[in-house]
This record gives sequence, structure tokens and C-alpha cells, in this order.
Amino acid sequence: MAPDIRFDWTGTVGSVVLGATKTEGGTRKISYRIGGGSTLPFLSGNASSPSPLVALEICDTSEYWSPVIRNYCGDLVDDIHAWSQAAETLYGADLVRLYLTSTKERNFSDIVSVKTSIEDVLSATGLPLIIEGSNEPKIDSEVFLKCGEAGEGERLLLGTAEASRYRSIAAAALAYNHSLIAQSPIDINLAKQLNILLREIGVPRDHIVIDPYTGTLGYGFEYSYSAIERIRFSALKGDADLAMPMISSATDTLTVKEVREADPKWQDEIAVQWEFYTGIAAAVAGAEIICVRHPRTIPMLRKAFLDLKTGTAGPAGLT
Amino acid sequence: MPTVTFFPSYRKIEVESGCTVLEASQRAGFNVNVVCGGQGKCGKCVVFIVSGKTEFDSQKFLRFFTSEELSRGACLACQTTVQGNVKVTIPDSTLIQEQKILIEGTEIGIEFRPSVKKYYIELSAPTLADPSPDLSRLLWGIQKSGGPVAEKIYAPLEVLRDIPAILRHSNWKVTGTIALVPGGYRLIDLQEFDTSKKLYGVAVDLGTTTIVVYLWDLVSGKVLGVASNYNRQISCGEDILARVNFARKNGLTKLQALAVDSINTAITMVSDATSIDLDDIYEVVVAGNTVMTHMLLGIDPEYMIAEPYVPVVRRALSVASNRIGIACNPNSGLFAFPAVSDFIGGDIIADILACGMGERDDISLLIDIGTNFEVVLGNREWMFSCAGAAGPALEGGEVLYGMRANPGAIEKITIDPGTLNPVYATINDIQPKGICGSGLIDFLAGLLTACVIDRTGRINMEIKNPRIRQGRFGPEFVVAWASETDIGKDIVITQNDVKSLIMSKASVHAACITLMKAAGVTCDDIATIYFSGAFGNYINKTNAITIGLIPEISIDHITNIGNGAVTGANIALIDRKKRKILDNIATKIAYIELNAEPSFMDEYTSSTFLPHTDLSLFPRVQKMLDECRLRRN
Repeated sequence: MAPDIRFDWTGTVGSVVLGATKTEGGTRKISYRIGGGSTLPFLSGNASSPSPLVALEICDTSEYWSPVIRNYCGDLVDDIHAWSQAAETLYGADLVRLYLTSTKERNFSDIVSVKTSIEDVLSATGLPLIIEGSNEPKIDSEVFLKCGEAGEGERLLLGTAEASRYRSIAAAALAYNHSLIAQSPIDINLAKQLNILLREIGVPRDHIVIDPYTGTLGYGFEYSYSAIERIRFSALKGDADLAMPMISSATDTLTVKEVREADPKWQDEIAVQWEFYTGIAAAVAGAEIICVRHPRTIPMLRKAFLDLKTGTAGPAGLT
Repeated sequence: MPTVTFFPSYRKIEVESGCTVLEASQRAGFNVNVVCGGQGKCGKCVVFIVSGKTEFDSQKFLRFFTSEELSRGACLACQTTVQGNVKVTIPDSTLIQEQKILIEGTEIGIEFRPSVKKYYIELSAPTLADPSPDLSRLLWGIQKSGGPVAEKIYAPLEVLRDIPAILRHSNWKVTGTIALVPGGYRLIDLQEFDTSKKLYGVAVDLGTTTIVVYLWDLVSGKVLGVASNYNRQISCGEDILARVNFARKNGLTKLQALAVDSINTAITMVSDATSIDLDDIYEVVVAGNTVMTHMLLGIDPEYMIAEPYVPVVRRALSVASNRIGIACNPNSGLFAFPAVSDFIGGDIIADILACGMGERDDISLLIDIGTNFEVVLGNREWMFSCAGAAGPALEGGEVLYGMRANPGAIEKITIDPGTLNPVYATINDIQPKGICGSGLIDFLAGLLTACVIDRTGRINMEIKNPRIRQGRFGPEFVVAWASETDIGKDIVITQNDVKSLIMSKASVHAACITLMKAAGVTCDDIATIYFSGAFGNYINKTNAITIGLIPEISIDHITNIGNGAVTGANIALIDRKKRKILDNIATKIAYIELNAEPSFMDEYTSSTFLPHTDLSLFPRVQKMLDECRLRRN
């Protein structure tokens, strides 16, 4: 028997459903209900805190991607169909997160290709999808609407809304019943503010996943940890505007100096370790989805989660 | 010499040719408003030349006038020189208005009991049978006519030297002036015959820019006159920091002399206008911010402006006026308000005295907003204070069309939530030139309730309305079309303006919350919010709450105390009992250094939302905004 580690917490992290199976109106093999925690993660004996999900990040134009991944995955990175298929069958990810890096191109206007890419990934894998749209206010609206349309019925997770640009993505999410990622710069108040803004334009709470922004290990991760942890505490204490599941993606990990300038012999290993440490720490802080780019990080995280859950690596005396 | 005649009072004065109209008016005893110190910057000293020869470059100052005003001979008194006999009209709006000082019957129980008093006594001449010394005879006489116990009165050497001659010369009919000083009573003057009706005092608000002086009849308890003058230290730097730096380079002497000179000019103006002898002024009370007080007393303020920001004194000071050169009776005392820290000065202690929060059981929040803000929370038992930079936005600075509260500034705005057309009022009802702080607050509240901006202040560009557009500096909202304005350009509020305003309001609100958390009180515990300073007089209280500038409490419980510094100085002048509690207040206040308060940044960020990230702090605003949104949808 484990002690009840809930103190005076009365709140519960809200849940968000990602992906839709055939019976749910989509084409995914599986769908997830994330969130729902009523205490801190990885406390033994608390079934209400399931293992975090691991998402593999891929992109549609690999020139923007880290050479570490290009070296490891080879030609896969230039074929999003094969890459996303591998994410599921070869690498064992729970989710695929597609970055539409093609939209970064100057004066990008090939909106149709957005739809093609998404349909391609949807056909290649049965996993639920996270789609990262454009980063350019001028084309935001068109790109997000196209994403929404292409994934209609699939309950995508669309990224990324920020306080300075949230209307187009919210419109797309609302129109096609997707959820969205709400990102704020490592600050609990700003995270809450964005959630209020989204609520006020009609996005329901169960369609929001918070991204408190994750700085990578050694580059501000401690601030991210604290933000994630405080958001989790606020949710447990009953703040409905912060009671959403969280996603963590330390996108800078593979480009930090230590990885970039590593001895080529060890670069791949260091990259994986760096991603792993950042990811596991974010999960302990309370994130429900951990995004990685290196396929080898996935099994390491999965094993660590399992160990934590079974109590073999849990705090002494709580088993 | 040319004669200047002022209308509508027909007051006349002779001046030398080339004298400014401002100087002439001051010599004639008018309190003309000169916020900028006579530099032609503020446009407050507007007068109308009826006839006569003057020099004024109207082209240079066109921005201050309408064409109608110019046709009537409008000019700035500080920039116009007299070249011959001149007739000038001074409109009421140019004069400094006397502020009402509530004395009797206020809830804080101010009574007329000044600390100086005159006693007229007729003594019997000494004889061989009654050979007691002159001083004892005099002091007993004072005691017998109701004065303090003779043994408790101290007579300084300067007065002592004059006693024998005055007693005999007047045939033992004299008037003694007794002042209550720290540690007892002091005989500060002895005059021949009955002068007991001639007892005056002045209360001084020593501001960084402006000095205000009230002249009181300390026998009848009436205000005889008010004068104001700019602080001549302006020539050594506009703000406090510049002046401290000036002192560092050039020594304190000049600054001290300028402060004294500015006060003396104001005292002389009001005593001339009321025909009172400066020697009959027996008491001076000064309330000023910490640096100003230090400079007036000739105490080096240099060490206060660097870490760890320590002032030299934290108690009220009583000194002889003549030691610092104030123009009044040479033996009179000067009482300077105590300071708490370099930022919480005597002016804030005067605010506290003026609103009475230090004498009540219920909890008050005092807010003084300028470029800097000061906040005090507490009651008779305890007080917390803090100060910080509000940024210039609330005073119209760093806002594209922002301006100070001068003629032509839009000071009030409401926005029709349907058409988004604003209805505005400008100062002096002329065509708008810009927007001042109170207008900006109204505007922010109006845009929020009309759902034009979201709670982070971002303009929703999806709204189709000609007033919402992309401007040179990003999204903007047109407040007034070029055709309505005085400047021939559209007056707009830009996205950046809104951001600056939100940052300003957030720092004030975060300071309030920081104090409330330090004291462990909530909005419900606050009985009254007091606004001090000119700013509080003009802002719309409801809108100030809507944007989250101040904590949400019922607006019936928000009070403007106007110039609290001058009110406090007046109270301390006329009621000696109130003066006693000042040191107690000053030592009681805990000062919280916001820079060193780890939670302040957190509070600040949560306040950068309209009205606040924690909506439960603003239940009424929240309800109102929900209703607005429903209507909109």
C-alpha cells in the first residue's frame, strides 16, 4: 500500500483525446486520452498517472533538420512516408509530430503541398499526429486551415499557438475539431494568460495542450522544469485555466555546442543521452508528451518510464 | 517705467521694460501656473494681451493655442516681455487654484492647535521688594496668562540679549512668542506691546518641479493666501537623479540656495499679496521627497542614489529657519517631514497624514502615481511601502500621440462597442492634439470592453472597421481623424502604446499585490484606496479597475486626496498633535525593495493581462467582460 500523496489537492489535470480510430470517426489504429492525473507523476501505486507518450519529430524538408538525425536515419529523412512509417514500426513511437518546415521557405505559397504531406503521413502510419504549421503570420491562416482540413476527423494536435498569434490556429482547430498546442515562454502566468485567451475565443479546455517551452539541458532547462512543475501544482490545486496536459519538446537539444562540436565518434551517443536526460526530467516534472528527434531516445525513455512506474527506480519506502 | 494692468482685477504694477509678463504677474501677487519653470514648455501660463506693446514669438508656440485664442491676443506669460504700458487679462484657468483643506470635522480629527503661540502680558516693574530677574518675571507672566509652566520654557541667548531693553522700553507691556519644540518650549521672540494678533505660519510642499506655499493666520486659523513657484533647481537638472549628479560634481551649495530661493520667492509673493511682514511668520513646515528635503537642509544626498539606498535621516527635523536662510522671523523654527527611504519621502508621509490612514484601524491602500509610483498599505498598527518606476506611459510619455495633461489633450474617452466610434473630451475643449494619461486609461478600458483588444492588449486585426488598420508602427486604432484634430494628422493608438500602458499599469498593480501579500491581506480587507497626486484627480476610477491598474474594490471606497503633500504640510502646521505621530509613522513603515523581492517579477507578469491573470481578483470586471463578449458574439 502506498501513502496517499495528494495533500489538499482537489484538482485533476483535464484530459485531451488525440487521434481517432475508425469507430471514433478517423483512420488511426489507436487513440490516446492524455492527462487526468490527480497527483504528481511516477508515484507508485497511483494508477491515475499513466506513462507519458513519446512522439517522434519528423519534417517535410530535411535541410532544416539536425545532421545527427540525417546521419542516423539516412535517406529516410527525405521521404516522409517512409520516415513516419518507420516511426511506428521501426522506432516504436507513440505519436508522430510532423513539422511543415517547407513553409519556412521565403514567400511560400504552395498551400496544396501541405495537404499532400499530411495525407501522405496519415496513410503511412496509424499513429495519431501532431502537426506543426507555419511560422509566418502571413500564411498562418491558410496553412492551418489546410492542416485542419487534411486531417478532418483524425483529432490532430495542431501547433503552435502563442499569445501573439493564436487566432488562425484556433479557428482551424475549432472548424475541424482538432486540439492545439498553446506555447508560452517558460512562465506560468503567460501560460495561463494564453489559455484564457484561447478559452475566450471558444477553444474548449479539453482541446488544449500546454507547451511551457522546454529549454534543453544546460540551456535553461531548470527554468522549464520549474514552469512545468508549477503548472502541474496549479492544476492539482484547482486552477482550471492551467489544468491541461503538457507537451515538452527540447528542440534545441541536437544543436547545442556539446552535441554540435562533439567528437564524431561519440556525437550520436551524446545527442541521444542529451535528449534522454532532458526528456526524462520533463516527464518527472509533469509533461504528458515528450517529443524527441533521435529514434534511439525512444526505447530509452520507454524503459525509464517503465522502471519508474514499477517502482524499482521509485523513491525508497513508497513501494 | 511701464505699468502693467491686470484684468479682471485691475491690479497694477510698475516694471522695467523687458520684464516678462510672468514676472510682473508674480510681483503683482498672482499665482500663475508654471509647471515647466517658465521655459515655454508646458503652455500653462496663457494670458491675453488686451492692449499695449509686448514681444512674443507666437509662431514658435502655435501648438499651445487655437486660432481663436491667438486672435484675442493669447500668449505665454513666461515668454512675453513688456515693452510699454500693457493691459493683460489673466484667465482663471491660468491661475493655480487653491485646494480646499478640510480641517475641522474631518474623520481624522484635526484641530486648530498650532505649535507656536503669542502671549501679550503686562508685567509689573521690578522693585526692591520684588527683585526677581527679567526672564523669570517674563516667563511667569506668560505662565499666568495661560502659557506653559515657566520652568519648562527655554530662552535662547539671542532673545535673552534683547529682553531687558524691550521690557523697559515698552514699559513692561510685551508679547512673547512660545514655540513647542522637541524637548520642551522655547521663547522664540519678544516684542514690544501687543502684537499677539500677528502670528503667521507657512506650509510648504517642496516638489521636484513645483513648490506650493500656504500662508496661515495662526491666530484665526485661516488660510490667507497660496503661492506657487517652480523649483529653481530645474536649471541644474530636470529630475532628481540629474540634480544629485549635479551636486556630486558641483557641490550642494547652489542647489540648496536655489531651493531656499524658490521657497522664499513663493513666501514673499504670498506675504506681499496679503501685506504681511515676513518677521511675523514664526513657523515653516516643509514636506518634500527625500532628496529635496536633504538638499534643502544641505545634507548630502549622494549616498542615497546608489545601493543600498540609505537616506541620512529617518525622523522629522526641527531646525531654526535662519540657519538655512528661509525668509521669515529669524528665530522661527522649520519643521521638515521625516522620510522612510530614498523613495518614500516626507511627501508620502504627508500623504499618509492627509488621508488619515495611520490613525485608523481599518486598512487603507495609498497610491501616488507619477513617473515613479509609491504605494503604502496599512493602518494605525502597521504599514508596508514600496516604490518603483511606472514608466512614462501613464503621463503620456513613450506613447506615439501621448502628451501631458495640457490643453488639447484628450482626457476622457468612451468607445461605442458597436461602431467603435470614440466620444472624447479634451482639456479646455479645443481640438485634440494628443492623449494624456487619464485618456489612455479610458481608451484601454474602452478597447477591452469593445473586444477590439484581447486581454494581452493585442489589437484584433480581423475586425473590419476603418479605425483598425496597419500603421507605420504596426497595428493601430484611430482615435481621431486628421480633420477633427489640431495637428492635421490622425491621432492613433498603436499596438506598442497599448503594450507600454499595460507594462505601466502592471508595475503599479504588482506593487499593490506585493504589499498585500507581505501583509497577508486581500482586496476584501482594504477599506479605502487613496489616490494622491494630480493624476488621481482625473482618472476614471471604474476604468482604472477595469484595466487592472489598482485592485478591485467598490469605487465608492476610492478617494482622491489631491496634493496630499501640501495637505499634510498644512495639517502639521496647524495641529501640533498630528506632528507628533509623524515620526511614529515613519519608523513604523516597513519598506519593501521591489528589486530584491523575488516574487515581484511573478506578480508583474501576472499583472500584464487585462485586468489580471488571476481573474478571481477582479470578479466584477470579469463578469462585465463576459457580458461584453456575449453581446459582441
